[in-house]
Amino acid sequence: MLPRTIDFARRFARNRAAVVGLLLVILVIGIALAAPWIYPRNPLRIVGRPEIWPFVNSRFPLGTDSLGRDIAAMIAYGARTTLLIGLCASITATLIGITVGAAAAYFGGWIDEMLMRFTELFQTIPNLIFVLTIVAILGQKLEYVTIAVGVVTWTPIARLTRAEFLSLRDREFVQACRAMGMSNLRIMFGEILPNALPPVIVLSSLVIAGAVLFESAVSFLGLGDPNVSSWGRLIGDGRTLIRTSWYICAVPGLAIMLTVLALNLVGDGLNDALNPKLRDR
Amino acid sequence: MVVSMSKRPVILDIDSLRVSLFTRRGVLPAVDGLSLTVAAGETVAIVGESGCGKSLTALAVMRLLPDPPARVVGGAVRFMGRDLAALSEREMQRVRGKDISMVFQDPMTSLNPVATVGDQLIEAIRWHDKVSRQEARTRAVELLRRVRIPDAERRLNDFPHQMSGGMSQRVMIAMAIACGPKLLIADEPTTALDVTIQAQILELMKELQANSGMGLIIITHDLGVVAETADRVVVMYAGRKVEDAPVEALFERPLHRYTRGLLGATPSANRRRGNRLAEIAGSVPALSELPRGCTFQNRCADASDRCRAEKPALTPLLPGRTAACFAAEEELSRHGIAVGP
Repeated sequence: MLPRTIDFARRFARNRAAVVGLLLVILVIGIALAAPWIYPRNPLRIVGRPEIWPFVNSRFPLGTDSLGRDIAAMIAYGARTTLLIGLCASITATLIGITVGAAAAYFGGWIDEMLMRFTELFQTIPNLIFVLTIVAILGQKLEYVTIAVGVVTWTPIARLTRAEFLSLRDREFVQACRAMGMSNLRIMFGEILPNALPPVIVLSSLVIAGAVLFESAVSFLGLGDPNVSSWGRLIGDGRTLIRTSWYICAVPGLAIMLTVLALNLVGDGLNDALNPKLRDR
Repeated sequence: MVVSMSKRPVILDIDSLRVSLFTRRGVLPAVDGLSLTVAAGETVAIVGESGCGKSLTALAVMRLLPDPPARVVGGAVRFMGRDLAALSEREMQRVRGKDISMVFQDPMTSLNPVATVGDQLIEAIRWHDKVSRQEARTRAVELLRRVRIPDAERRLNDFPHQMSGGMSQRVMIAMAIACGPKLLIADEPTTALDVTIQAQILELMKELQANSGMGLIIITHDLGVVAETADRVVVMYAGRKVEDAPVEALFERPLHRYTRGLLGATPSANRRRGNRLAEIAGSVPALSELPRGCTFQNRCADASDRCRAEKPALTPLLPGRTAACFAAEEELSRHGIAVGP
């Protein structure tokens, strides 16, 4: 097992951009984890004069917002919220998506028909409005935002999984597995899924990126959890001052952009590393 | 040979199996009343053109017919005296791979591309036999040695795309015999391989069979393969068995006119140069347009009015062999050979 992990790491490392992305993701995770130690006090506390520009006061390296809160602290704590929601939403979406897509393709017939109509039903509802509706109904809490984002982003994963499964289902090795006496579940998840996984993993990492954006949008509109700091909320709060103190929006905006970019790069790298056909190149 | 063969216990007994394809154009009889037995240690070859129902027969035995469109509509498949149709899906899963194994046509696509050969072998072993990973690994190495893969230990870590076609087919055979099956069904096992490799693979299968005493069904369209491996030959045409004979007898004196055509269309070394291969004129009738009477009538030079009106039944014409052909029947009686078993 170990030599194969090293092998995988080597293949991943061959893609420079992916390594940069991974470093960025690790950096963001590091900041998120270290936030309570760097800023032991509540980041939503007012600590100084409002609207100090970044790099002016060494106490506030990224400046302060319109209320005099430390932007650096809010970014650090916001990373926690954003990553947590992104990750959990993506896991939720991936689990739902793979289950629905795999079942639809493997069993076919009326099961496929039913599940895909169900998927389309979800697709026809505008995503953001759906998220806002769920949050409005369930309440403005972190968990509910996560569920809401997961529930709207699983459809592309289901469709992709189904497409992959459909092309794999009739391959000879699946027939060979059946002839070997393997059960449906075993074939679906033990044999077909590993083959279908590379593109799904790539899409899942994009879903994390998408979830980050959704969370930002929800918070921007003021429907996020009011008790936690988040990047989207910071942008939302700063939007009234965008002509004068644009950095209040720009700093979290940059953070979102870099994180989303990094996640995409990592997904790309995974795609290369997971594809066995590229192994010997 | 034939006599000693019949004394061995019958492991597979297919009894007037009927498989139909349920399509938009109607219900098509893809396998029509096929009967067939395989004894322990016996090799039966099923020969026929593509679409004659030979692969469907194999899949029907395994209960792996693609449904829709194919479904068993009649007959029975008994394995070691058990009616396979009566088993639950779970029980059937225990039969597949353990008692009855299958080797497929294209070895390059029959292995899971994302797992190493070793992992797949180990999984195959552990799926049926609850042994430790370590023990399964030891057995996997042993299996690879048995199918003559050099450097077996190291080959376990190879991915399927790192192996040649012949190597992959050896691995497939190793997986098929991993749990000591009593019956091995090989569906066109050498069709996708180079000619030089073909002989090696066939020899390997014969050798493994001789060692284990398993029954072997080889499905092929290649009479060369039949001649090299089979004890008995079943010739299928348009979903029906048209001839069943011991291999030497069949090559010496094919009875059914279709079998004759097949043999005539096979190149051989002692054919004189310039002598063209005989082809069978026309083509297999579509299953939706099967004629009344013999299904081969439109391509048969000896077809009589009787052939066009009446469907010839499988009749024991010579000792140990049956054929469904009026022309053969008449010919034999004309030569004064007593028709009968």
